[in-house]
Amino acid sequence: MMPNLIIDNKKIRVAKGTRVIDAAESAGIYIPRFCYFAELGAVGACRVCAVKFIDGPVEGIRMSCMVEAEDGMVVATDDAEAVDFRRHVIEWMMMNHPHDCPVCDEGGHCLLQDLTVAGGHGIRRFAGKKRTYADQYLGPLISHEENRCIQCYRCSRFYQEYCGYTDLGVMGIAQRIYFGRYKDGVLENPFSGNLIDLCPTGVYTDKPSRYTGRRWDFERTTGVCTTCGLGCSIMVSARYRQVVRLEAAFSRAVNGAFICDRGRYGFSWVNSENRPRQGRVAAKAMAPQKAAAAAAGRLDSLAEQYGAGAIAVAGSGRSSLETLAAWMDLCRRRSWRGFFFDDLAAAPAAPAAVSGLSPENVVSMKAVESADMILAVGADPLGEAPMLALAMRQAWRAGAKVFAIDSRDLEWPFEFQQVVAEPHEIVDLLSGIEPENEIGGNAGKHAGKMAAIQDQIRHSRFPVILCGTAIVDQSTALAAAGLVKRLRKNKKDTRLFYTLPKANTFGGLLLDHRVQPPDELIHAMESGEIKALVAVESDLWQNCTDRDLLERALNGLEFLCAADCMATELVSRADIVIPVSSVYEAGGIYVNQEARAQWSAPAHAGGTPVRITGAGGHPPRVIGSAIPGGDMPGAWQAAWQIAGLAPPAGPGEMLEWMTKTYPVTAPVKTMAAQGVRIFPLQ
Amino acid sequence: MKELFLVVHSLCTGFYTTLKHIFRGPATELYPEYKRPLPARSRARIILTVDPDGRERCVACYLCSAACPVDCISMQAAENPEGRRYAAWFRINFGRCIYCGLCEEACPTAAIQLTPSFEHADRDILKMVAEKEDLQVDHCGKDPNYNFYHHAGVADAIRPKGGHVNESPPVNVRTNMP
Repeated sequence: MMPNLIIDNKKIRVAKGTRVIDAAESAGIYIPRFCYFAELGAVGACRVCAVKFIDGPVEGIRMSCMVEAEDGMVVATDDAEAVDFRRHVIEWMMMNHPHDCPVCDEGGHCLLQDLTVAGGHGIRRFAGKKRTYADQYLGPLISHEENRCIQCYRCSRFYQEYCGYTDLGVMGIAQRIYFGRYKDGVLENPFSGNLIDLCPTGVYTDKPSRYTGRRWDFERTTGVCTTCGLGCSIMVSARYRQVVRLEAAFSRAVNGAFICDRGRYGFSWVNSENRPRQGRVAAKAMAPQKAAAAAAGRLDSLAEQYGAGAIAVAGSGRSSLETLAAWMDLCRRRSWRGFFFDDLAAAPAAPAAVSGLSPENVVSMKAVESADMILAVGADPLGEAPMLALAMRQAWRAGAKVFAIDSRDLEWPFEFQQVVAEPHEIVDLLSGIEPENEIGGNAGKHAGKMAAIQDQIRHSRFPVILCGTAIVDQSTALAAAGLVKRLRKNKKDTRLFYTLPKANTFGGLLLDHRVQPPDELIHAMESGEIKALVAVESDLWQNCTDRDLLERALNGLEFLCAADCMATELVSRADIVIPVSSVYEAGGIYVNQEARAQWSAPAHAGGTPVRITGAGGHPPRVIGSAIPGGDMPGAWQAAWQIAGLAPPAGPGEMLEWMTKTYPVTAPVKTMAAQGVRIFPLQ
Repeated sequence: MKELFLVVHSLCTGFYTTLKHIFRGPATELYPEYKRPLPARSRARIILTVDPDGRERCVACYLCSAACPVDCISMQAAENPEGRRYAAWFRINFGRCIYCGLCEEACPTAAIQLTPSFEHADRDILKMVAEKEDLQVDHCGKDPNYNFYHHAGVADAIRPKGGHVNESPPVNVRTNMP
C-alpha cells in the first residue's frame, strides 16, 4: 500500500518506507539537513530537519529523516514552532564554529553556511570560549580542519559502513566528539575523496586544489570519468583555463553519488606544464594546424614511396568515440595498414566482452548493488574499476554472497570466498557450473568450492557474473557469457558485468570489432613493413611489456607523428607533434563497459592556463580577445587536418557524420542524461 | 493694493539677494590649484591595507570580486610560508571600476578599502589596470584595530590552535574524564 500524506498543503503519494524528508523532496519541498544522506541512511544526529506533524499517527516536532511516511500524516515544514526549533539548532551548531569562512575552501558551497544564513543567525550570543581541536595529517589529498565539525557523522558512516574501512572514525564523548584517525597518517580508503563532497561544512577539503577558487567562479559541467571503463559521472570544475577539481556527479544508473579517488584525482596531466600545447615539427614549434599540414605532406610522400600499407594508426580507449571514428575512417579511406587498438594489450579479452554483452544480460553498476550473489572471475574490481568494489560491498551489506575465481591475492572491503585458480583453469571451472545437474567433472581439486558456488547460484534470485578482461583471455570472457546464457535459459535472471581498462575500450571495439592488437603493430614496425606511425592519444608505450622490442620497432620507423593531449613517451619521440584538446576542453562520447554511451560536456574553452602564462604571478598585461594556446584542435578534427580537408563545423555536424559513417552509433542521437546503450549491430 | 505690495516685495527681495552676492567671494574652488581635503569615507582609488601587526590583511577570499557589480577585481589565492592564505596576485581594473564601495563592504578582513584619492585618469587603458603591488599600502586605512587572524581560529605559523581570541585550548580526545 502506498501511503498518502499532506506536506505543506500538498497531497503526496509515496512508496511504503519512504522517509518524510524524501517524500517532501519528491514534491519539490526541500527540508534542510546536515546528517541525512540517502545513500548513508538516517541517524537523526543533526536535528535540523525538524518539522511539525500536525495530524496523523505522530504529532508534534519530529525529525523528518527518522519518520517514515504513513497514511493520514499532515506535515508543516514552515510551522512557526518548527522554524524556531531549526533556528535554535543552527545557533547551537555555530556556537563553536570558527570565524574562518574567508579562509575556508568550503565557503561558497557550504551547507552550513547556507543554512546559517537561511536560519537568520548572525551574531554569536554565547559569551563563553570556543572549543578547538587539533587537526590531523590525512595524506596528500585531504585537508583536515576539525574545528569546523558539526558532528553529523556523515564521514564516519560513509567511511566505515558504506566503504568498510576502519582507520577513520569517531572518538571521544560529549563536547569532545572528534572525527579523525587514531593518529596522523594517509587514509587507507580508496574512496576517501568522497568525504570532501559529503562533509556539510569544511572539515574535509580538497588539498590539491587548496585555495584555488570559489565555486561561484568555476566553470562547471558534468562529464564522464575517463580513468577506467565504468564511465562514472563527474562534475568538472575549471577556472582560469585549468581543471581545478573533479567531484562526484549523481548518476542513477552508474555510480550513484560517489566516485573513487583514482577518478577524482587522476587529472593532473591536463594542467601539466609538460603537456603538448604547441605544434612541433622536428624541434621547431609552430601552430597545431601547420604541424598537421606538415604531417599530411610527410604521410603523402611516404605513401607514394612505400605504398599506403606502410602507414598505421595507433589509438586507445582514452579517446572519445568521435576521435576513434574519425581516425578509423581515415585509415579505411586512405587504405592505410589499419587502426591498432592499445587497449587490447591491457585487456586481451575485451573483444569477447563486447560480443558477450546483450540487451538481455547487461546490468548497470547501480543494479549490481541489488544482486544477491556475485561471482567474480579473473577480475579485481578494487584495482581495475574501484567503484564496482563499492557497489559489490553494498550488495554484500544487503546479504549477497560474493565468490571469486582468481589466482591473485585479492583484498576487497567485504567478505568473499575465493577459489584460487590460474586464469587458464577458469574456462573449465565456468563450463562446469550447471543450473540443474551436479557440478561438472572438470572442477578437479576445486570441486568442493565450485559446488558451493553452484549451490549459491541455484538459490539466488538475481546473480551477477563479473568477468575481468585483463588477466584472462577471450575464451574465459566467452565462457562467462556462456554460463549466463545457460542460467538465463533456465529462467534465472542472471546478469553479466565485464570490467574494461579504458573509458572507451567498448566504444573502439563497437566501431570496429576487428581492430588489431598492438603486438602486431610492433612486429610489423620491427620487420619494416610499417614505415610511418600516427599515434593518436596512444598508450602504446605505457601498455607495452617488452620495451626493448618497442624501442627497436620505433627506431625502425621513418616517421612518427603523435597527436595527443598528454605528454607521453611517444610525444617526446615524435617527429611531428599535433597538440589536441583534452576531454575537459573538447568533450566527447564515451561508451562504458555496460555499452552505455554518455556525453562528457566540455568544461572550458581550452588554452594555456593563466598559472602558466602568468608564471605564477598575475596574467600578462596585454589586451586582446584571443585565448593564448586556444588554437588546439580536437583529436577528431586533427584527422581531417591530416587528410587536408575541413572538419565538420561543430560537435553537432560531427555527430551527424559519425552516425552516418558508423550506423552502429545511431542511438547516440537520442541520448538522454543517463546515456543510451549501444550494442553491436547483428 | 495688496497685489502691488507683493510685486514690489518680491522685486526687492530678488535685487537684495543679487546685491548681497556681489560682495561675497566666489564659491567655486579653483581645482587643481586648490585641492579640498575630502572626508575619509569618500570613495575613490582602492587600496589593500595591512593589519596592526604589519602583515597583509587580504586573505584572497574572493568576496570582493563576487560582490563587484562590474567584475573589475580578479585574484588568485595561495598559501604563504607562514601558512596563511594570501593573494598570489590581485588585480583591479580601474578602467571598469565604478567606485561603488561594495568590495569594501564585502571584505571580511577590512583589507580592501576605498580612499579619497580620485586623480588617476589616464589615456593608456593598461595604466588603469592596477596590480597587487600598486594597491598595497603600509597602513591600516580606516580601521586601525581589526586583525582577522586573531579571531580566525585556524592555526598558522604565528598562532596555534586554541591561541585565538576567546578560544579554549584543543580538547584531549583520549581522556575519559567527563
